[in-house]
Amino acid sequence: MSRCWLALIEEPARAADAAAPAFTLDGRPAGTLAAWRQRAKPVRYALRVDERMIDPAGSPALISLVLPPPGVRLPFDDLTVQQARRRVLTGPFPDAVSTLLRDDSHFEGAITIARSPADKRWLTDDPFGRIFPARILAVDGGILGSTAAPTGPTIERYGSGNPWPWDLFS
Amino acid sequence: MTTALTPGQATPTARERAIGGLEVGGELPDFELLDHAGNRRRLSALVGGDPTVVQFFRGWWCPKEQAFFRRLLVLQDDAEVAYSRIVSISVDPSEVNAALRAGLGARWTFLSDPDRDVLSQLGLRETTDTLHHPYVPAVFVTDPELRIHSAYNGYWYWGRPTHGELVHDLRELTRTLRPDWDAPTP
Repeated sequence: MSRCWLALIEEPARAADAAAPAFTLDGRPAGTLAAWRQRAKPVRYALRVDERMIDPAGSPALISLVLPPPGVRLPFDDLTVQQARRRVLTGPFPDAVSTLLRDDSHFEGAITIARSPADKRWLTDDPFGRIFPARILAVDGGILGSTAAPTGPTIERYGSGNPWPWDLFS
Repeated sequence: MTTALTPGQATPTARERAIGGLEVGGELPDFELLDHAGNRRRLSALVGGDPTVVQFFRGWWCPKEQAFFRRLLVLQDDAEVAYSRIVSISVDPSEVNAALRAGLGARWTFLSDPDRDVLSQLGLRETTDTLHHPYVPAVFVTDPELRIHSAYNGYWYWGRPTHGELVHDLRELTRTLRPDWDAPTP
């Protein structure tokens, strides 16, 4: 089970393993994106994320942050979530993607990281953004890295407590 | 001339013992090539911890490959939920493989070997095609250590694995790889 947590927080990022300010595309502060590598949930609304994308030495990036409205969540096996995963594998893979989750059975959002101009265009058509609202934010350096594209065509999670596309059972 | 089966002899299948420099029980070299997006990828990283179908194909232009890809697309619908992977390799440049992949609707990784370095290393050059100098069509099913579980020589189309044969191979490999193959029951 993933022990890496991610949250966009308003308060200071206490004890985070990586954190960086986030901004809207017109430059307004949007909080701090913070990540923790630990077993216990660090803040109430933190969600588990693919830890490979967390890099304290990572450069600035644009992200598409998809989060459900309060009180709403979907089964991870919902057909819309399956199809979004297929579309991620079909298209050009951005710098990194991870679904977000708290428990073993629900999809509770996604984060997509882009740096190249082509990938930035991809953010505006984030497949997960067709499920829940997507916010495109600019995030300073110090938290987000890159991951290799999944080999494909697997859309399943490797253990229900792990985000997709983490691709090992270990 | 045909060879008669003797009693007790296994029914022949399309499987081969060896193709080029590769044989069942041996290992695929852990080569690096560019993927369809232009990223350098190592085979072992693509295989990860799963059974994998590694397909060497002539190129987009070959009608036999076009037919066989339709078979792999059927397998894709199984593999996407079965913790199994597919990798396709040709001498075409990344951009060409990207276009082929997109046109097919394939959601697995294509690798490009335009300099034919890996082709030479593996001894998989199709000598009868002096125009494209492509890979001889071949399909290997490997385990995570890149050990070759089965091999199919697709020079003649009927040598290629059927959907059923690939499912059979992936089942056998998965059975050996997953310690919880026998479902836990009370």
